Amino acid sequence: MSETKRRAAKLPEAGQWPDRIAPWMLLAGAVLTTIGFLMAFFYAGPVNGAAVDGVELIGGQMVSSKLLLSQKIFYFHMPVAIVSFASLAFAGYYAIRFLMTKEQRFDTCSKIGMEIALLFVVCTMVTGEMWTRFEWGVWWTWEPRLTTYLILMLVVIAYFVLRSAIDEPERRATYAAVISVIALVDVPICYMVTRLIPSSIHPVVLREGGMSADMGMTVAVVMAGMCMVGFGLYRLRFRQVRLAQRVEAMKEQLED
Amino acid sequence: MNEVLAEIYSTILPSAPYIIAAYALIWLALLVYVFIVMRGMKKSEAQMAVLEEALAERNAKTAR
Amino acid sequence: MASGKGVDVRTAGGVALRKPSTFQQYKTLLRKDLEQEFRTKEMLTSMGIYALLVLIVYGAALGQTAQALDVLQVAGGLLWALIVFTSLLGLNRSFGHEKEQGCLEGILLVPLDRSVVFLAKATSNLLFLLAVEVISVPLFYFFFLTSVSPSESFGLIVAPLFVGTVGMAGIGTLLSTITVNTRGKDVMLAVLFVPLIFPLLYACASATTAVVVGSDGYLDVFFQSLVLAGGYDVIMLLLGWVLYDFVISA
Repeated sequence: MSETKRRAAKLPEAGQWPDRIAPWMLLAGAVLTTIGFLMAFFYAGPVNGAAVDGVELIGGQMVSSKLLLSQKIFYFHMPVAIVSFASLAFAGYYAIRFLMTKEQRFDTCSKIGMEIALLFVVCTMVTGEMWTRFEWGVWWTWEPRLTTYLILMLVVIAYFVLRSAIDEPERRATYAAVISVIALVDVPICYMVTRLIPSSIHPVVLREGGMSADMGMTVAVVMAGMCMVGFGLYRLRFRQVRLAQRVEAMKEQLED
Repeated sequence: MNEVLAEIYSTILPSAPYIIAAYALIWLALLVYVFIVMRGMKKSEAQMAVLEEALAERNAKTAR
Repeated sequence: MASGKGVDVRTAGGVALRKPSTFQQYKTLLRKDLEQEFRTKEMLTSMGIYALLVLIVYGAALGQTAQALDVLQVAGGLLWALIVFTSLLGLNRSFGHEKEQGCLEGILLVPLDRSVVFLAKATSNLLFLLAVEVISVPLFYFFFLTSVSPSESFGLIVAPLFVGTVGMAGIGTLLSTITVNTRGKDVMLAVLFVPLIFPLLYACASATTAVVVGSDGYLDVFFQSLVLAGGYDVIMLLLGWVLYDFVISA
């Protein structure tokens, strides 16, 4: 009994210190993202789009191109994307620890990490969709950003399809962990490939540019908020899954 | 307003629905996830209560 | 089975054995796969026929716009689509035989480094795929590229074909070992294979198109894509080597 207690002390468990701060993190994250949302519209300057014949004086500056509001989506699009990569990294980390120790707990952590990753990837795709729909007037282009996120989403969905196709817990956890590790390695490659290869047919239009200070601050605020939201959601889901697992264990004990 | 100003601001109104949709959908996705987790939590807690009752009954029986 | 190279071991019972070296084990496993295939030629013929059928489907699909379509531009992509579909078929079957006859348990009983099994299986898959490509690329040329003239650098197409096939065999072997034990094997393999192979596919299709079209500056694109594809191959083979032990023991 004491040995399981000693080993259990090293495994992630619900009710530890991360759970105590998790609700506060969620709240702080919600507050920060709201502040960021307001900042995006009232603080950060609008971005210049296509040029316009003629010049006007607006807010003390000479403006000679269209002012874009659609770029405001970026302030949430990038943080959500970064959080999705971070969750994927955590899921991969726990997958590696599972493969090394074969403790089911790590498999649970890895799976929850992938769930959060899926959630944030969906958010990224949605905001990206909205942005491209307005910018280019089409619902889809085979553009590096969109394609990479689509592949990422497919890999995460494949992870869950695989999990549902296997019944034995040990084997399911092992295979899922392997896929998680491959996904972790594959995503940066995918990211780089579509950017590094000069397309021999169509030139790639990239929208990266320098960010002014106010834009940078807004993104930083929303990023911090989103990270906290992601962390809070992870702990919440972890607590719920652990509770369900403990209920099952109790049921089995009461059975005999 | 004059023509140039009108052209400068010309993309704002058409783009507004997309921006609102983007932010709203993010919030929706996060809230849906929280909702799913909360529902699972309630179910597990209800089951835990039932199990605790059964355990108490069994203890009472063996004590007798 | 082990001749020449090997290690002399003394077991606990005092019996002297010759433990075959890793390369010896690899060669034996590879020879087993190749011999079995040459006896029945089952996989090669089915993959070859499948490639031919895909080409015919391409003909039906693209035959409508024979003149207006710039075949050269899409040829590289079409060729790689053909290779991906054929390799999915081949990879699905590569472990089917082992599982049916229970050979997998037999192999696992032998005290060898499991990663050698990975290398042997990946090599045999690679050889089968290359064999099918040797047939299907000329067929593709015959069906689609004789009316338009590809650039004289067409011979360079061998390089991306080889590099891409190595990557597909490597990651495909790892994935097919996983999916052979799941429900819905074929679809599961496709679901896992296609997203993970995407960077490789993109790089190789880009290199192939650059070589086929041969527009200005194509050598730059070609080498850059090849380098990226090669990097992907190295990373994926390393991953497969490391992870295969976990996968095959599960």
